[in-house]
Amino acid sequence: MSGTSESTNTNTSAGDQVVRRKGSSRTGAYIVVGVVVVVVIILLAGYFAAGWFKPSSTSTSNNGTCTAPTPATISGAGSTLVAPLMTAWALSYTASTVNYASVGSGAGISDITSKTVDFGASDAPLSPSQRAAIPSPGVLTIPESIGAAVPIYNLPSVATTLKFTGQVLAGIYMQAPGYTNWNNSALQAINPGVTLPNANIVVVHRSDGSGTTFAFSSFLALSNATWASVYGHATTINWPTSEIGSKGNSGVTGTVKSTQYAIGYVDINYALTESVAFGAVKNPAGNYIVANITNIASAVKDASATFPASSGDWYNFTVENSPGAQDYPISTFTYLFVYSDLGVAYGSSMPLTTAENLVNLLLWMVGDNSGQGQTFAAGLYYVPLSPAAATFDTSAIESITYNGAAITHCVQS
Amino acid sequence: MTRGNPFHTRTSTKTRKVSKWGDRTFLVLTGIGAAGVVGVLVAVGVVLYYGALPLINRDGLSFLTNRIWDPENNVYGILPFAAGTLITSAVALLISVPLSIGAALFLTQHAPQWLREPIAQVVQMLAAIPSVIFGFWGLIVIVPVMASTVNPALAHYLGWTGLFGGPTDIGTNILTASIVLAIMTVPTITALSKDSIMAVPRTQTEAAISLGATDWEVSRRAILPYARGGIVAGVVLGLGRALGETMAVTLVIGNSNGVPNSFIAPGQTIASLIANDFFESFYALERPALVYAALVLLVITLAVNVLARFLLARFQRGMGAKVE
Repeated sequence: MSGTSESTNTNTSAGDQVVRRKGSSRTGAYIVVGVVVVVVIILLAGYFAAGWFKPSSTSTSNNGTCTAPTPATISGAGSTLVAPLMTAWALSYTASTVNYASVGSGAGISDITSKTVDFGASDAPLSPSQRAAIPSPGVLTIPESIGAAVPIYNLPSVATTLKFTGQVLAGIYMQAPGYTNWNNSALQAINPGVTLPNANIVVVHRSDGSGTTFAFSSFLALSNATWASVYGHATTINWPTSEIGSKGNSGVTGTVKSTQYAIGYVDINYALTESVAFGAVKNPAGNYIVANITNIASAVKDASATFPASSGDWYNFTVENSPGAQDYPISTFTYLFVYSDLGVAYGSSMPLTTAENLVNLLLWMVGDNSGQGQTFAAGLYYVPLSPAAATFDTSAIESITYNGAAITHCVQS
Repeated sequence: MTRGNPFHTRTSTKTRKVSKWGDRTFLVLTGIGAAGVVGVLVAVGVVLYYGALPLINRDGLSFLTNRIWDPENNVYGILPFAAGTLITSAVALLISVPLSIGAALFLTQHAPQWLREPIAQVVQMLAAIPSVIFGFWGLIVIVPVMASTVNPALAHYLGWTGLFGGPTDIGTNILTASIVLAIMTVPTITALSKDSIMAVPRTQTEAAISLGATDWEVSRRAILPYARGGIVAGVVLGLGRALGETMAVTLVIGNSNGVPNSFIAPGQTIASLIANDFFESFYALERPALVYAALVLLVITLAVNVLARFLLARFQRGMGAKVE
């Protein structure tokens, strides 16, 4: 646009035209200073972000009875839901360098399919077509964390915790007639004594693909046949168009908090850390449960008996609506995918040392000895794996081979 | 350098050789630059085409008219989002163009000298604000006002048009997104209009005044027709920004994947759809569908640009110097 330049064209009436900069002779000094500043910035970034010039970390203590392999770099990618947990793990795990790219479940699955990462993380299990696309020897599905969806709402005139059933939530989210106003008869019937306002329900869902949507829509599908046939259960749903979408758990929380008469669903760790009212949901035992770490963990524990084989199809596996009296009904596992034979899958791009590092890392992630992966969960408002799930995972991880041979384990404790 | 410049005297042959190589290098470097720009555009188009190929092979052009976007059931249609993009951009321009031209006229014709530079600076600073901040500001300030006051008023007074139906308590809707986009395009259009108006020769204005024209007539008859080229260029730039704006729109448009039937209903644009769905795109054809959507947006943007250039060429006929 408008800028005044420093140079002047001195058009002499004879001789060649001369263009001379009117600027000071300190230009050279400025250039040198600028280059030095840029170089310093690059070096600082490298030091802090990529660990240049740091002395290599010494191997940490292990069980004492085994020798840890030479540290290697392990890369993973996928779900944004477990990203905070993955970050905490990457920082605390010193036996290898762990890089996790929080690029979303879909990208995590395509990355593990194309073998550009060592493990993939996803909020939903592989669909049959995604499993078919994975090259031999195929991947193991390893549940490593638990998420839960809770209904949140903004009703300043209602002080008590609202109760919901799957049927009512399905009706609200389908914008079915008779479910569009807060004082509808179905909701009033399960909340006797509560004065519900006469106002349109502003329905909020996730605009981006999400494991929380997967958990919530799976629950709605289990509760209402129309929802199951029309909308199904997935990470992205074709919601009714009169509803609002917000990006991310934080987007839904923000929209509900700032919009009166709004209802939404978010992951349990957002509901616990943000001050937003969330409701109780009826479980198959007939009790209305307000979600917390304990009742989600007990729900998952009660469902662990029915795991499919780690190398099998998990698409219809669910831990929702588990039978316990105090179980929270809307829970889901999040999954890691890793190839069942690392030598066959990666060939020379993954040497045995790296395979050993990967297996040790996975065992550490699902382990709950002090300092191991699962002990970080509660502090970040994630639900730790049940003992049965951890056992299942451990045996699945220990079944990973390298060119047919078992891999020695030496897990950091 | 021997192009008939009467003031130029040739020096030694050595200088001539050096100049020729310098010229050639300059030609090659600038040629690479120009070719690079065109090459990037072509490369983008090619990459998008190949990324979208699985879905192009399956659906062809029906993608453009399909109204349903349902990855779970393998149905993809871009119509709601193309409509959302075009409607929000059009309404944004409807709001911002009069504002911007008015602001430019005020700055150049009527503002006292001491006020001109500060206002111009503020307008330019507005252009430098990152778009996500506009989105946040819109979410915090405009959305509640829309939900509580503006939507009900519009539904009440303009409901007879049939364009303002539906629930009035949703603040994140097409109109809010259009307002935010309008505010984002104002600086671009104002700056270019101002430059263009300032390039109008003083003689035009003075002639009009001497014939007894009022201020408004001077602006309308003497200045604006002359400055049309630059103003249209500014509008085209603003429109380009509005068509592709992602973060600000996704925060205030409501992200609802249906063809909008009301200005106060939530909607979705192509750019916002891609930003939302790309990372967690889970299903086999979902990512090709999003790339196809990006290709459609690219074609829309190019088409609008070509149309604007065509209109600009028609306006230039018979007018004074072309203002690029």
